[in-house]
Amino acid sequence: MTEDLLSIMPELMLIVTAVVILLVDPLLPEEGRRGLSWLGIFACITAALSTWLASGDEYTAFNNSIALDKYSVFFKILLLGVATLAMLISEKHLHKKQRLLGDYYALILFTTIGMIVMAEAIDLITFFVGLELMALSSYLLAGFFRYEERSIEAAMKYFLTGAFASNFLLFGVAILYGLTGSTNYEAISDAINLGPVPQAPLVIAVVLILAGFAFKVSAAPFHNWAPDVYQGSPTPAAAFLSVGPKIAGFAAILKFFTMILGSQSEIWVPLMMALSIATMVVGSTMALVQKDLKRMLAFSSIGHVGYLLLAVVATGDSGRNLGMSSILFYLAAYAFMNMGAFAVLVHLSNNSENFTDSLDEIAGMGKRFPWAAGVMALFMLSLTGVPPTAGFLAKFYLFSAVVDAGLPWLAVVGALFSLVSAFFYLRVIVYMYMREPGEAASEKVDGRSWDLSLGIGLAAAGVLLLGVLPSPVLNAAQDAVQKLLGN
Amino acid sequence: MYGFQEQIGFPILTVLTFLPAVAGLVMLLLRGKPTAYKSLALAVTAANFLLSLLLVANLDRYTADMQFIEKVSWIPSLGISYQMGVDGISVLMIILTTLLSLIIIPASWNYIKERELQFFAAFLFLETGMIGVFCARDLLLFYVFWEVMLIPMYFIIGVWGGPRRIYAAVKFFLFTFAGSLLMLIAIVAIAYLARDNQYATPIFDMGLLEKAVFSYQVQFWAFLAFFIAFAVKVPMWPLHTWLPDAHVEAPTAGSVILAGVLLKVGGYGMLRLCIPLFPDAVVTFAPWILVLSLIAIIYGALVSLAQKDLKKLVAYSSVSHMGFVTAGIFALNLVGIEGGIMVMFSHGLLTGALFLMVGFLYERLHTREIADMGGLAGPFPVMAGFLLFFTLASLGLPGLSGFVGEFLSLVGLFTYSKVLAAIASLGIILAAAYLLWMFQRVMFTKLRDEKWYKLPDYSLREIVCLLPLGFLAIWAGVYPNTFLELIQPPAARLTEKMAPYMAESGNAVERIFASLGGLF
Repeated sequence: MTEDLLSIMPELMLIVTAVVILLVDPLLPEEGRRGLSWLGIFACITAALSTWLASGDEYTAFNNSIALDKYSVFFKILLLGVATLAMLISEKHLHKKQRLLGDYYALILFTTIGMIVMAEAIDLITFFVGLELMALSSYLLAGFFRYEERSIEAAMKYFLTGAFASNFLLFGVAILYGLTGSTNYEAISDAINLGPVPQAPLVIAVVLILAGFAFKVSAAPFHNWAPDVYQGSPTPAAAFLSVGPKIAGFAAILKFFTMILGSQSEIWVPLMMALSIATMVVGSTMALVQKDLKRMLAFSSIGHVGYLLLAVVATGDSGRNLGMSSILFYLAAYAFMNMGAFAVLVHLSNNSENFTDSLDEIAGMGKRFPWAAGVMALFMLSLTGVPPTAGFLAKFYLFSAVVDAGLPWLAVVGALFSLVSAFFYLRVIVYMYMREPGEAASEKVDGRSWDLSLGIGLAAAGVLLLGVLPSPVLNAAQDAVQKLLGN
Repeated sequence: MYGFQEQIGFPILTVLTFLPAVAGLVMLLLRGKPTAYKSLALAVTAANFLLSLLLVANLDRYTADMQFIEKVSWIPSLGISYQMGVDGISVLMIILTTLLSLIIIPASWNYIKERELQFFAAFLFLETGMIGVFCARDLLLFYVFWEVMLIPMYFIIGVWGGPRRIYAAVKFFLFTFAGSLLMLIAIVAIAYLARDNQYATPIFDMGLLEKAVFSYQVQFWAFLAFFIAFAVKVPMWPLHTWLPDAHVEAPTAGSVILAGVLLKVGGYGMLRLCIPLFPDAVVTFAPWILVLSLIAIIYGALVSLAQKDLKKLVAYSSVSHMGFVTAGIFALNLVGIEGGIMVMFSHGLLTGALFLMVGFLYERLHTREIADMGGLAGPFPVMAGFLLFFTLASLGLPGLSGFVGEFLSLVGLFTYSKVLAAIASLGIILAAAYLLWMFQRVMFTKLRDEKWYKLPDYSLREIVCLLPLGFLAIWAGVYPNTFLELIQPPAARLTEKMAPYMAESGNAVERIFASLGGLF
């Protein structure tokens, strides 16, 4: 048992920190709370370091319910990085909105623990516990500005659709358990491969689980909650929610569909393909008409989910290693660029009176906020997929996987939507650099904060680094999926 | 094999490529000191020009092999390396790039009124992208530079351009990006198909890819994807529609680089990738491409004839001239390919100069409408002299660079098909018509406004910008051998590569009808 506990040291660290934050928070005066984010950041960094140091051995713990291997190490470090960035960009914004409470950081830590559990689970029950921990904490994060109607609406919408999705998933999981008599991934896989499993209920289970996942990662046609939720959530929380749950979702999807259903690809590959194309269509075309930047980013992130699903399709065919590692690399790139873009919005909101996230308000930003505009342009180019940025290499690697799986036409479809996405990402650059500030531009106030700048700087550095020197992350991604492929 | 060939003692291609970008970053530190950063830009582009001269001086002119090879592992798990290397064709293009980059700095010295720093920095980044494209020997590296070229140009048009600059910039970006994405997928496809087995790393090394053999079907689609990407840049009819918009809206320096270099990367890509990698597909597509080229030549010339805006006239004339490039290249014989490359070089010099002159004129008169001008030879005799020179060079007067390229290109086309060559030569007649008529309307009809006598004629700065272009135009016209020597070995290798594929095919017109017949 102690060994089991040792194996989840990083998670325990986060839990303890979160509880400490919750306990200390009420005792501190308003000003004193400003340091709480650093407590959380410190915990995340230490957790990431200890994960890194212990990454040598691969074993399972808690009676075969979590796997500690390179795959979970990759996701743990990535998710902890996302949490760190999220806390870096939050403090000033909460302060400005007069909602500077330790709860926020505790919630981020709890969400992160949930996401980590999702990534390392190899048992359906454990996975589900992780999922719900993540989900419940993120509903609260979405509604954290409880004085704002939009924020409450976001939380309600997120909660209702999320609960719905969880139930779909759970129902599918229950059927799977009924069919195979186990909740362990490997045991289920063996049961499906060896024993005759009735096809019809299996298909139903796959469809239900797929629908549940589609909700969670906001794949069309189960995407409708995402724009409203991101728009209504506090911007730093939106940054976190648009990235973290997706990473965790894909970590689980990959494990699920390769470890459990790897042999059943003829069931889920066509579904996944349809889902992917629908998601790209919805994400790209709807983002075109958005005037609100947070909504635009929300739809664009749906588009990115479409690309990721494209690579999931590729894993179902040949060339699994490439398909899976391309997803891992893409998620890392996506984390930096999407969080970076949201972080710039946080910066603008902190530095302007009544910033409304509308496109008109960033007109002439190149002159008013030269540095912020510069990095925003970088993030937009990266999201479009222009070299030498992370977004480009991620897309290149992902298309490689799709082409290598013998689906060049699907890559062409992806490229087509990439082109469509160039329209709305470029529009941000056009507004920032090629238009003069209009009447909508709000007054500039002093909202500088160095931790936010640090967060944006880290995201920008990540985007450039992954674009120019991708090898370490690429190799880590390839190593991470080796083990799963063995199964 | 990693490292670099010590032909010169230091990795010259890398220095040549990245020096401008580094200078562009250093410039950011000199914010608020316009003279300092402009001088830095001038010094760096000058140094780069000298480096490119050093490059050509050390180039072995008698081999078609890649030289000055530099190779460093970049993303080993995907078989991608940082690999640079040049042959005569690349070197000629590099010289064109460094020369035009050097010229546009003084040409826009006082022209840009706001955000000067970013303007000059953008050009330095652009230079890095352009030189990188001409040096890259790894397909992914090529693609990276290809896209890096796109972004500064997008900003240059969109931020410092004319009234419809946003429309023009976005159109430019989307046209090029659409082509690039197709190319990216083709790059991925051939890199993975060229492997020996399913578990090997993909191959992005251009040299190795040239040796790989692809099935006809793969060649067909990959050629099409690459070709469309390049044809957008050239630009070939009917993918040319972004060009007039981009040219008219771009600031002078942007137009110069756009016409001088960015159009050339299209032709360069066809020579460097389309022909060596997909010879079977080239044979199939060549007649069709020639037909498109002829349409471009005639259409571009006719549309030029109808232009009222001086800059648009020069822009459409580019469509026509670039038709000779693709016509020469896809005649697929030595003379034609050499001609195509010479047209690229000459067009870079001449159209660069013409755009500069349009810009200089605009700075004085604040109009580009030909109808508003007239009789300008009176107040601006020096300008009239230069314009006459570049007009004549551009319409292909023997003894100047325009003639050599178009003549060779026509000879090549003639060898391929007499009918097509006859049609193409109409383009030269039309060029004489629209250029001379333009010159007459601008310089010789009645002077519109007596006030213009008060305006200054060309300053020393402006003359200095135009002189090297004129000098090279004469050099290439009188003694083209200097340049042909550079491009002959690589061009010969391309024709050798194509020779076995060409043998069994009949004449072009027959083949077009044959392939049409195949459709029914």
